[in-house]
Amino acid sequence: MPVSSPVELPVRWELSARSDGTSRLVITGELDTESTPLAWRNLESELAGIKTSRIEVDVQKLVCDSAGLALLYHLSIGGMTPGANVTLIGLNPELQHLLRSFSKEDFETLQEHEPTCSSIVEDVGAATSTWLSDLRQQIEFIGEVTAGVITSLVIPRRMHWKEVFRVFEAAGVNALPVVSLLTFLVGMVIAFESAQPLAQFGAQVFVANLLGLVMSRELGPVMAAIMLAGRSGSAFAAELGTMKVNEEINALETMGLSPVKFLVIQRVVAGILLTPVLTVFAIYAGLLGGIPVLLGLGFPLRMVLLQIQTSLHFGDIAEGLSKSVAFGAIVASVSCLRGLQTGEGPRAVGESTTRSVVSSILLIIFADAIFAAITYNLRK
Amino acid sequence: MNGATRNLIEVRDLTVGYGNRVVLDKVNFDVRRGEVFAILGASGSGKSTLLKHLIGLYRPIGGDVLISGASIVQAEGEERMRILRKFGVLYQSGALFGSLTTVENVRLPLDEFTDLSEVAKDLIALSKLRLVGLESAATRLPADLSGGMQKRAGIARAIVMDPCLLFLDEPSAGLDPITSAGLDALIRELAHGLGITFVMVTHELASIYSVADRVIVLDPLIRGIAAEGAPAWLREHAPEPWVRKFLNREAA
Repeated sequence: MPVSSPVELPVRWELSARSDGTSRLVITGELDTESTPLAWRNLESELAGIKTSRIEVDVQKLVCDSAGLALLYHLSIGGMTPGANVTLIGLNPELQHLLRSFSKEDFETLQEHEPTCSSIVEDVGAATSTWLSDLRQQIEFIGEVTAGVITSLVIPRRMHWKEVFRVFEAAGVNALPVVSLLTFLVGMVIAFESAQPLAQFGAQVFVANLLGLVMSRELGPVMAAIMLAGRSGSAFAAELGTMKVNEEINALETMGLSPVKFLVIQRVVAGILLTPVLTVFAIYAGLLGGIPVLLGLGFPLRMVLLQIQTSLHFGDIAEGLSKSVAFGAIVASVSCLRGLQTGEGPRAVGESTTRSVVSSILLIIFADAIFAAITYNLRK
Repeated sequence: MNGATRNLIEVRDLTVGYGNRVVLDKVNFDVRRGEVFAILGASGSGKSTLLKHLIGLYRPIGGDVLISGASIVQAEGEERMRILRKFGVLYQSGALFGSLTTVENVRLPLDEFTDLSEVAKDLIALSKLRLVGLESAATRLPADLSGGMQKRAGIARAIVMDPCLLFLDEPSAGLDPITSAGLDALIRELAHGLGITFVMVTHELASIYSVADRVIVLDPLIRGIAAEGAPAWLREHAPEPWVRKFLNREAA
């Protein structure tokens, strides 16, 4: 009994069963990427009901591309008629040649291939060993950087000062506007937020004292360092990471030059020198942000300035600046380390940039906590 | 046979450059259907720039590029996509997506542009990989493949939609002579077996003599084409002496 296919397809087929239990399928027309998906489904459902031991597929009047060939191949290996012996007849030699590139074994191998899934024990072990080697790398790196910074400060001739100044400009001078704006706004917010509770005690004038202390001891250095981590630390990591991917780091090593000495020391020295300067600007901008709020509360400018002056001591500024030196060293060296640790592939640079910002900010806060504990005990 | 069906690509008065710097000035040439066409020239003569204009990545300063009679310069939106789907491009490094396995890379155009079933897509992708001899590397990530394998995987991805035209940017750059010869054999096989027209940019003379039917040689001084013809013929009869020297691998 002949069954015909839907008319809208450019391909038609006719299936006829013979008395000896074999069948004949004649496919004509065009099988391309457009017509194959529907033809595939229709043909599959049509053949599913057929019980036969042998099918002859006549494709003499069929034009097809890779998609059509995939269908013919699937048909010929019995994918649509399990158990039946399928023969293709009338395929032109060119397509015959192409059909040979299809392989059942390849397909089965692909289907059997499962993404390797490691056990939890393996994962924990691998993570621990990565963490340990990372720690080792960090300790080595800290040693090398410290030694390098000390030598370059003792023998300044050995430094590439040009590079230091370039970093100074890119990471310091160019960061001034954004750091100033940030702390200006933070100063304003702190003044607003503290004015109300202090007013309950009639102590609104002490907003100035609070602002001076919090800016010089805490927020000035921390804000400057966080900005440095986000703006310049990420740039260091991306720069060194790209150099690693482009094998420039390998080139330095094979020339007998240490990448740490050649690339990292300058950045760390620049970081150490520029963060205190950025911090000073940050403190000033923070105070400037708070002053308009205090003026708005009705205090005269002279009184505000006097309050700040009397409440701020040299020790407070020294604490902020010494913190900022440490923060600068941390941000620059951690970012460079993350850059040098960059792996391979297009995602590696992005990953190391992210890691540099995350580790920098974490370590800044850690260091800040340590500083807070030390200075608290010193002041007692 | 008239000109429109004989020529697959027609380049008319194409002027290309960056900003005010003109790299090629009013270049004219045709690529015939079914041939392997090579663009030759010294480094900096604008070979890769020309190729990027042929595939519509850059907009020219002036002139037009017609692919099967349709202008890729003026086409916009859906029409441009339709022209772009007619050809495949192999980039210098293979440009495989690092997060996908080789077979997933090859399948990608099928996933995006067709409604084929999973079985059909896998079968087609695997057959293309077998054509380029990479069936055993189907489930590996591009980072685990050698340079030559990455290029072959790039070719497999470029031919998965059965294009009639394939652009190759420096196919043999960075490959050893044996791998490069294997790639040449693959190009010949695809050109003769599947009837694909190839346009390739290269400065590998050995592969030009073995695969190219016709070449153009770009000259940075005149900012245009110094010679055009079959490579073996140009080697003896090119009008410019430096082109003959170039093709004979002598120092100019």
